[in-house]
Amino acid sequence: MTSEQLASEKGASEPVARKSAVPAPSAPADATPEGARRNELSTRGLDLRYGDRVIVGGLDLVLPGDAVTAIVGPNACGKSTLLRGLTRLLAPADGTVALDGTDIHRMPARALARRMGLLPQQPVTPEAITVEALVRLGRYPHQRLLSPWSSADQAAVDAALERTGTAVLRDQPVDQLSGGQRQRAWIALALAQDTDLLLLDEPTTFLDLRHQLDVLDLVAELHAQAGRTVVMVLHDLGQAARYADHLVVLKDGRLAAAGPPADVLDAELVKSVFDVDCRVIPDPESGTPLVIPKHRPTGRRTPA
Amino acid sequence: MTGLVEAPVAARPSSAPARIRRRVLLLGALAAAALVALSVTALTLGQMPMAASVAVRALFGLGDQGDVFVVQEFRAPRIAAALIAGAGLGVAGSLLQRLFRNPLASPDVMGITGGASFGSVVLLATGASASFIPLGALGGGLLAALLLGVFAWRSGLTVTRLVLVGLAVQAGLAAAVNLMVVRFPAELAGAALQWTTGSLYGRTWTEVGAAAVAGAVALAAAFVLHRRLAVLDLGDESAGALGINVSAARLQLLITAIALASLAAALTGPVAFVALAVPHLVRFVAGPPTAATTALSCLVGAVLLLSSDLVVQHLLPVEGLPVGVVTATLGAPWLLVLMIRQSRPVHRSSV
Repeated sequence: MTSEQLASEKGASEPVARKSAVPAPSAPADATPEGARRNELSTRGLDLRYGDRVIVGGLDLVLPGDAVTAIVGPNACGKSTLLRGLTRLLAPADGTVALDGTDIHRMPARALARRMGLLPQQPVTPEAITVEALVRLGRYPHQRLLSPWSSADQAAVDAALERTGTAVLRDQPVDQLSGGQRQRAWIALALAQDTDLLLLDEPTTFLDLRHQLDVLDLVAELHAQAGRTVVMVLHDLGQAARYADHLVVLKDGRLAAAGPPADVLDAELVKSVFDVDCRVIPDPESGTPLVIPKHRPTGRRTPA
Repeated sequence: MTGLVEAPVAARPSSAPARIRRRVLLLGALAAAALVALSVTALTLGQMPMAASVAVRALFGLGDQGDVFVVQEFRAPRIAAALIAGAGLGVAGSLLQRLFRNPLASPDVMGITGGASFGSVVLLATGASASFIPLGALGGGLLAALLLGVFAWRSGLTVTRLVLVGLAVQAGLAAAVNLMVVRFPAELAGAALQWTTGSLYGRTWTEVGAAAVAGAVALAAAFVLHRRLAVLDLGDESAGALGINVSAARLQLLITAIALASLAAALTGPVAFVALAVPHLVRFVAGPPTAATTALSCLVGAVLLLSSDLVVQHLLPVEGLPVGVVTATLGAPWLLVLMIRQSRPVHRSSV
């Protein structure tokens, strides 16, 4: 179902169709006022370092609001570091990160946490915590120091559990769930945070195909039905092309390409970024670009 | 008919979390009852034994003036000191263990108790009023934490380094206390002796009053900050994304724990192992840590110290034994068991 939708939206025609495809999912979000809250993240001259090591250098980037953006790139290209920089977990050595034009380092931490949620790549699950107790922690930025648990908090938690299909698991300890269930519980925490923007760091890692698709469908649904802006780091180029409206390709901490997947993803880019010879064909299901690596009969790559 | 059959099923929310909540509540009520019973018992016992009703009346200034004097001036402050110190140690221990994600983290293993004792004795030496001793203890506790930070910090803390450096700090500061006791004039040395072993002997309202106020403030802080502690459990990234300044929140909680442990040491001297054992005990009976189990740690700490003091005063055949000896005797094997369990895969944690 989802794939057919995507096929009709993304595959029908080439780049031009993107423009018409973007407003369609934004319909439910029309209730929010235009203007100030576009949920657009942007970086200017962003330098992120660990000590002296430059991980991301001089990055100028715009992550469109009201869209699903996928960040892809080879291992150690700075994807996760970029996500840390975008969420203020890592202070830039130089340059700025702005949310709708406001420097995120000038925003109060809690105010930012009410606009932007993050699912880390390997979240730490407190021992023996139940699903509901975990999801309740997502309400932290909405609570004042001494305010008691409110009905609005409970409503947000219930909605998050419902949407992620974890309501039936609410009393179970998170550390006893399967990988897919656990990931959905963590997404529920980020949903309970009730932010317009959701950043996910490799949400499909360690999941089997079925659960990968579950998580990605959930992400697509969050965007289409709940009007959330999503930025996620993904490994699989085909999945990124299928599920994202906007693709950001990083190489060695620099921007290699950015734009709608159909525009940017081609054999030349894959060769230059991943050093893989391939063909890029339309995905027979969705029409989005699909990367098919060249067959190497010997099973070994030719030395560069 | 169907309604009758279904009603009891619906009326019993027997989900696991609800069961745990009920159990914690029940345990809390039990601990509170034990606290009252032990306190009343402690009021009645002594060289002038009296009936419970007489002792309680005397506490409120009623009845024979001699009884009133003994109860109000000797027994009550000692009980109050045990309650405050025990509660403080219980909560300090549970905060530290959660903060460091390490079952060995406790003020006595980390040297904070030694530092606070050192601070108390230094303040005693200056001749300041006894009501300022908690202040000296707090200073000493922070000093010990600073030493621990300087010597144990290598881009994070490992369990082994924390414990080894902590024990070294503890031993060094205890030695400093002993040195001062030896060099002090006799009357000061007698007063300072308490901070070498940990005892509740001779507490008066002068010391207890100030510590009670400060202890109440620190306990309130611990519970106000508890939501942050729960979010910190999610790890630095998730906590940061939820709008917490991770290092600031850790520091606030750490200082709260140091304050609680230092106040306890100001009142009793270095009473070993209460802070280490109470969180484990609570965890064993009440499950994984929540705000409710921290409250339970508070009660259990008070029960443990008060009952140990009763044992020391009235059950053991030896006169004038300090309470620290009892807790150390019980606690040392416990620490050993924990150390052996810990020698399995060592997991790092950062402050």
